[in-house]
Amino acid sequence: MSLKIHLQESNTPTLSLEGRLDTHTAPNLDKILDGVLARKGIQRMVFDLGKLEYLSSAGIRCFVRARKALEPAGGKVAIVNPQPAVQKVLEIVKAIPEGGIFRSIAELDAYLDEMQRKVREGE
Amino acid sequence: MACVSTEVTAPAARGFRTIRGRLLFWVLAVTVPIYAATLYLSYQSAAERLEAGAARDADDLASTLAASLDTVIRPIEGGVRTVAYQLEEVDPPREEYPLRIHGILAAWPDVYGSTIATEVNGQDPQSRPFAPYYFRRAGRIEYSDLALDSYSYRDLPWYRRAADSRAPLWSQPYFDEGGGDIWMVTYSAPFFRKAPAGRELAGVVTADLDLAWVRDVARRVTLGPTGVGWLTSPPASRTFVATLGETSRRIASDETGDETRLREHAERMLSAHEDFSLLADGLAHQPTYVSVRVLETLGWRLTVAVPQHELLTEARRHLRQQLWSGAAGFLLLILAISFVAARVSRPIHSLAVAVGRAEEGHLEFDLPAPSTRDETGVLTAALSRLRDSLKRHVELRAETLAAESRLGHELQIAARIQQSMLPHGAAAQTPEGTRVAAALVPAKEVGGDFYDYFVLRDGRLLFAVGDVSDKGIPAALFMARLSGLLRVLGNAGSPPEQLLAELNARIVDGNDACMFATLGCGLLNPGTGRLQYASAGHDPPLLRRADGVVLALPVENGPAVGIDAGVEYRLAESYMAPGDTLVLYTDGVSEVETGDGEQFGAARLAELVRSDSGDPQSLVRHIADMATQYAADSQVVDDLTVLAVSLQPAMVEGWIDTRGEHWRIRPAATVVGIQQAQRWLRAALLARAVPAERIADTELIAEEVLTNIARNNAARVRELRLSIECTLSAAGIALEFRDDGVAFDPFARTAPRLDADITDREVGGLGIHLVQQVADESAYAFVDGHNVLNIFLKFSPTPHGATA
Repeated sequence: MSLKIHLQESNTPTLSLEGRLDTHTAPNLDKILDGVLARKGIQRMVFDLGKLEYLSSAGIRCFVRARKALEPAGGKVAIVNPQPAVQKVLEIVKAIPEGGIFRSIAELDAYLDEMQRKVREGE
Repeated sequence: MACVSTEVTAPAARGFRTIRGRLLFWVLAVTVPIYAATLYLSYQSAAERLEAGAARDADDLASTLAASLDTVIRPIEGGVRTVAYQLEEVDPPREEYPLRIHGILAAWPDVYGSTIATEVNGQDPQSRPFAPYYFRRAGRIEYSDLALDSYSYRDLPWYRRAADSRAPLWSQPYFDEGGGDIWMVTYSAPFFRKAPAGRELAGVVTADLDLAWVRDVARRVTLGPTGVGWLTSPPASRTFVATLGETSRRIASDETGDETRLREHAERMLSAHEDFSLLADGLAHQPTYVSVRVLETLGWRLTVAVPQHELLTEARRHLRQQLWSGAAGFLLLILAISFVAARVSRPIHSLAVAVGRAEEGHLEFDLPAPSTRDETGVLTAALSRLRDSLKRHVELRAETLAAESRLGHELQIAARIQQSMLPHGAAAQTPEGTRVAAALVPAKEVGGDFYDYFVLRDGRLLFAVGDVSDKGIPAALFMARLSGLLRVLGNAGSPPEQLLAELNARIVDGNDACMFATLGCGLLNPGTGRLQYASAGHDPPLLRRADGVVLALPVENGPAVGIDAGVEYRLAESYMAPGDTLVLYTDGVSEVETGDGEQFGAARLAELVRSDSGDPQSLVRHIADMATQYAADSQVVDDLTVLAVSLQPAMVEGWIDTRGEHWRIRPAATVVGIQQAQRWLRAALLARAVPAERIADTELIAEEVLTNIARNNAARVRELRLSIECTLSAAGIALEFRDDGVAFDPFARTAPRLDADITDREVGGLGIHLVQQVADESAYAFVDGHNVLNIFLKFSPTPHGATA
């Protein structure tokens, strides 16, 4: 029972989490987040929780930390496909704002496309 | 060195027990009575013949004597009657009478005297008594006149009887006292003269016969050496008696009364019309044959007496002869039978002596050469064959026994090797937090049951129980192969269903003996309670829960290994709570039968598992003992194997009371400790089929609370004492967190500002909020220097999302 972290590097870094994100494993995610958040110009970041089985407040700290790093610069943290138990924890502590949780990657992509279109139209 | 030799002595047959003895006995037993009966009959017949002979002799003697008497008497009768006739016809004058009387005397010297006495006619005065009597005396003939007044002859019997009967007749013998002083008998013949009234008596002619000659005749008779006899006149006042033969010398005087007795007996015989009889009290009071005859002449009696012993002397002599010859014959018979029987039985006897020495381990007896072609020869030949084949058999048996003993020794070694292949509960073989015990009771020295358990490199415990289709050496070899493969393949850490499939593939390959085995195989993670199990045709294991519930582990059974290639098995996954015990067994346990065919049965086994403590050692021992006892009155016919695995993590203790099932976990206040505590809570709740959501809630609460406590006491030097008691009841899950750290009420903190802008929000501080949101009830107290936090999670439907 541990946490597997898969980082897909791109303009929108995607972190796929598998297993348990708790007091024990959160430091591992923190280290990777250090690397990701250190990069300049990241607007968006995605956590794919499709295979995350367990989440405790220690894990939520990571998401909140990512939000605090990105959102002041207008960035956004998206959570994709959380399991019910995980989603329950996220909702209880309101770690991710309304509209930050997506049921799937496809839903996220559609949302992101919409956002880009709005930005283009706005320019 | 003393050498003791023991002579084997056969019980030699002797006496009546020998064939010869019995042959002799029975032949003699049959022939001797027959011979005795023959002798007796022969003797009887000889005696009868002798008796008949004696009677005939008496007849002969009687006729001889009668003839002898007749030679004398009949001529005298004729002469006297001739004179009487002449007197009647011629009627000579009386003067001629003496001449005629002289004629008679001259003609018959035995005639003592004679007379012609005339009748006296009363009407004739001329008639006067006239009776001149001439008789012999001293060689001369003398005269006497009987017609003297003193001698009235006409009244005397010799005259009167003849006159009255008008026929010639003999008088009874009489002793002529005063006359001749001799025994005499008188023949009187009447003569007649013609008269107007017919013939009238004219007188009587007589002849007196001296009976001396009769005595001579009687004396000349020859009797036997002891016989006696008498010729006697009919009974009268005075009886004439002439002794026969030597009688007078044998019975000189009748002092013994023999003569009287015999003669009286003879008279009685005559009145009874008997002529031969045996008088018991005869001569010298001995049994005596008596013959009596009445002679035609004069009606005299002839009495002859012969002692029985004399008469039967001949028969007895003959009998003696026959006895002697019979004895000699029997002696010869005995000799002949002995000889023949000896010839016949000698081979049998020597055979008996030779065979009689035989006994187990001593078959070297010499048989006599079969000399004859009879039954004995056949018997000897057969015994010789029998002895040889028995010897061969004994040798063969000795070889077989040696081979068996060798095989037995090898089997013992094999059994030790097989036992050594089984794990023996060494600490290295069981991971921390588990206890394993197993027992294998083989039905024979070696068997086809096996069990194994060992720790994989990742710390999991692999355990297996198998039962090879056969018993004995083939099963043992198969089992060894299976066991080795299990070790090799199992160490790779594949899940059980894959392990079984691989094992099956290897076993099927080259399984020419077509053996197969049922196999149950499990993997237990001792850190999480996770149990993986797969079965190849094996009975499902029993899970004994710490709360006392015993249930068969739900397993989808696959085929036994060794039959078909390419078989797939299904994995069964479940969790064991701390304190739970899993029991694997072979059908030798569940199907062990009593003498009357009653099976121990899975139900009885389950009850035994339930009632026992959850300790694998005692459980295994009890099951093995019980099954063995159950089979005690029959026999353990199948191998018995039982293996028990229990989960006993050091930091968890469990118990049950009326409130429910409890687990107390004492984790270290570290990240790892918290994680372990979470795992045990999770294992216990999974094992009790608690809804997944509540398990996740429990884990979350535990982590948040424990992390909080650990953080609050991070600066502390002394080790923090921390415990979680989880109580599972029908209503829900109660959690009690207790620590002796600094007093701290987590619920006293203000709730985090969840709605605040992310830039204003603290990164942490969410944990207690989460706990409060997830729990149905929560309370804090500081008791006896301990922080006590009670949480309750209901099982009833709780719309949790609504609280958020």
